[in-house]
Amino acid sequence: MDLARLQSAGLLTRRQTLGYLAWCAAVPFAMRSTATNASVVKRVICIGGALTEIVYLLQADADLVGVDTTSLYPAMAKTLPSVGYARQLSAEGILSLAPSHLLATEEAGPPAVLKQIAAAGVRMTVLPAHHQYEGLRQRVLGVGKVLERSEFAQIIVQRLDSQWQQVRQQLAAQALQRVRPVRVMFVLTHSPVQVLVAGASTAAQAMLTYAGATNAVRGFKGYKPLTPEAMIAAQPDCLLVTEQGLQAAGGLEALYKLPGLAQTPAGRSQAVITMDALRLLGFGPRMPEAVLALNQAFQGL
Amino acid sequence: MNGNLSAVLLKLNAVDLSYGTVCTASQVPRPFTLHVSSGERLAILGPSGAGKSTLLRLMALDFVPVMGEVIFKGRVRKGWTVAELSHHRAVMPQNCSVAFGLDVHLVIALGRVARAFDPSLSDIVVAAARLARADHLLSRRCDTLSGGEYARVHLARVFAQLWDVTEGLILVDEPLAALDLGLQDSILQALDRFAIDRQHAVVAVLHDVNHALRAFDRLLLVKEGQLFADLASTQQAVPFFESLYGLKLECLRTADNAFVVSPVSKRRQEACTR
Amino acid sequence: MSPHALLQARPGWWLGASLCLALGFAVQLGAVPITVTDWLLIHKVLEWPATSEVSEALSGGAHVLFNLRLPRLLLSVLVGASLGVSGALTQSLFRNPLAEPGLLGVSAGAACAAALTIVLIGELPTIIVAEVRVLLLPLAAFTGALVVCFSLEHMARWIAPGSIAALLLTGIAMNALAGAVIGLCTYLANDEQLRSLSFWTLGSLAGAQWLWVGLFAGLLGTGYCRLRRSMRTLNALALGETAARQIGVDVDTLRKQIIVWVALLAGLAVAFCGMISFVGLIAPHLVRLWVGPDQRQVLPLSMLLGGLLLLVADTLARVVAVPAEVPVGIFTALVGAPFFFVLVRQARVQAG
Repeated sequence: MDLARLQSAGLLTRRQTLGYLAWCAAVPFAMRSTATNASVVKRVICIGGALTEIVYLLQADADLVGVDTTSLYPAMAKTLPSVGYARQLSAEGILSLAPSHLLATEEAGPPAVLKQIAAAGVRMTVLPAHHQYEGLRQRVLGVGKVLERSEFAQIIVQRLDSQWQQVRQQLAAQALQRVRPVRVMFVLTHSPVQVLVAGASTAAQAMLTYAGATNAVRGFKGYKPLTPEAMIAAQPDCLLVTEQGLQAAGGLEALYKLPGLAQTPAGRSQAVITMDALRLLGFGPRMPEAVLALNQAFQGL
Repeated sequence: MNGNLSAVLLKLNAVDLSYGTVCTASQVPRPFTLHVSSGERLAILGPSGAGKSTLLRLMALDFVPVMGEVIFKGRVRKGWTVAELSHHRAVMPQNCSVAFGLDVHLVIALGRVARAFDPSLSDIVVAAARLARADHLLSRRCDTLSGGEYARVHLARVFAQLWDVTEGLILVDEPLAALDLGLQDSILQALDRFAIDRQHAVVAVLHDVNHALRAFDRLLLVKEGQLFADLASTQQAVPFFESLYGLKLECLRTADNAFVVSPVSKRRQEACTR
Repeated sequence: MSPHALLQARPGWWLGASLCLALGFAVQLGAVPITVTDWLLIHKVLEWPATSEVSEALSGGAHVLFNLRLPRLLLSVLVGASLGVSGALTQSLFRNPLAEPGLLGVSAGAACAAALTIVLIGELPTIIVAEVRVLLLPLAAFTGALVVCFSLEHMARWIAPGSIAALLLTGIAMNALAGAVIGLCTYLANDEQLRSLSFWTLGSLAGAQWLWVGLFAGLLGTGYCRLRRSMRTLNALALGETAARQIGVDVDTLRKQIIVWVALLAGLAVAFCGMISFVGLIAPHLVRLWVGPDQRQVLPLSMLLGGLLLLVADTLARVVAVPAEVPVGIFTALVGAPFFFVLVRQARVQAG
């Protein structure tokens, strides 16, 4: 019981992903004949990992000419030219790729540069998710519309809806059984001197809530630093971190050493769940199965 | 060395030195009144920290006195603009460091910065430098000068400032401190010649009593923030020196019938009293 | 004439020529390739007022050239000139060759005021019209810079005069204070405000528009004309406040004038481009090494050299990591900080 019960959701994801990819492979075969022929050559730049995933899902990746630094899935997206960090875009850099369309999440900036790009004749579409499943639907439909694959996008949305339905039913059933939801704390970054945790109005809390858990810390919005006493008062049952954040901060050993953690249930049983950042927080097409994976990880505690 | 005593240049009416100085704020203020005529030569003497520089700054109209008033050419400080005042009086400071290592030529030319630019500026600068024995320094930078060279440059600046004015007021604060004996003499002569040619009054803070006796008509003795004495620069002043500095002094006659004041050494003092 | 003398003879012409040459190079460098045909479309640009057909006619390289690259290049020259001249003015005000608006906290004060405005405006109801909001940030930045300048000037009176260390320590304190307020604003800000705030700390010339170019050109032009008359008296400040007064310079008015112009130039540079440090330190210092410390030459040449320096830094920023972009403040800090260390060492050697 003292062993690191690392539910790295790895095993689960692989199974989920295989099913997912199989589904991906199967559907287009049937749908290829109904996909619209793009008459105009499109050159699309995608800002935001979630939108890039959707583009690949819609099989429109041939139109992609550039992505940002968060577009890490699927792996072949990393081979495309990078236009840099989403919040510090360069107008000339983007225009040098001669795009016809720009797909962006709400993170893209600075606003002046976006204005310049729009003024240069690039058709810009900003697709926020607002931390909701409905946002994901809007994104898929929005991307489908821009890339002229609306019918295909409809089909994908229907599939996602049914997947989401299943997840919700499962969670509703659980909610009837379980006495109290798991208290989870999402740690964004940590160092010996500072721990940044997610409060309300964050993607992390939205995912936790969808997965049937509650945020152990409350009373603030956004990502804020937490004192050791507040950590102890929160009494989280488990910690949730992104794989990238964990790696950047020195791995599990550094995480276990967080002050105050040892006095919480999460610290005593060393319950830490890690997940890939884009999958967890991106609100991309993997969101429903990410919610399911989270939920199963919480159940396994 | 006799000044023209006709016009009163500067009047200090009932001013007191101890206000605004560090020493003796608890002392009862003893205001004094003092007039300076155009072309006069005054020397301010006194022990260190007595308030000599304060008196000089008061006479330069650098600040408005708390008690009494200072009237220069018929106007108080408020009646003068800074630029106008600089056309009639010039101050040579005791130690003035020049930031950025400006050129000596430029520093001397700054004496005339409050006037409209005129093409003869360069000639005035060179002439003023020659008078102050600083003409060989003209192409140097200020941060490469020694103390004595610095003093000469500032003196040249003062000369340039009042070059084409008559009946002005020159105030100098320990101009001879960093100079060797030969230079001291030639500087005093230059100052004297400059002042006589243009009927400027000169007020100088000095630490050497003999310079004062030799080159100046009138002595202002300052002690502990008060004006101790205001007298002509003759042998009658010697007893005042003794109580000013707390020293026994003796007068020595020189070959050309001038006299030099020298402190009596302690050993001879004891020998005399025994 | 020996080459050295030739270089000394007409420094203004040399710098002007280098600036034009650099502009010529920089305009050809960038992510998007520009061809001669793009340049020839200039006649379309000069049709005024710009009709929609004209803007559509410009596409690709020509659009980038006339709407993105040229304004950005010119803005970098103008902002660099502003920073250069405000650095020269700050140094003459504090009689200190190590003074600079960035080091002394003036830029930080401007950024802090802008950050406060961003966060507080978010709290207010949106009755403030969009146009006013656009004006509000530069105004806030100018006010912040002004407040810091006045505070520094008051404090410099009772610090040991000529003490480099004391002045810089005050600057460190100012920077720390402004940084703390910006940190507080970051803490209080929501996501969208956060995006605007992160812009201030690194400095970037992206988003340059012709409007800004016009504004800065006007500002610099006016400033230079006003300050030209004071250049002789600026030299007098080097003698110290008392001596300057005694030679007839109205020191109080002059100081206030300098403070207002430093706050305007440095504050507006921060408002439009974020914090770009060290240009105001390097440009006047190099000019002084070249032509000596006479303000009548240092002031105009600092403008030219500052413009040249920022142009080069911004071109590097645009070109080094194509198609992404490095914030220009990084380059100026990378070059400026070691330069600063060298200066401090020199000052110590001279003093000790």
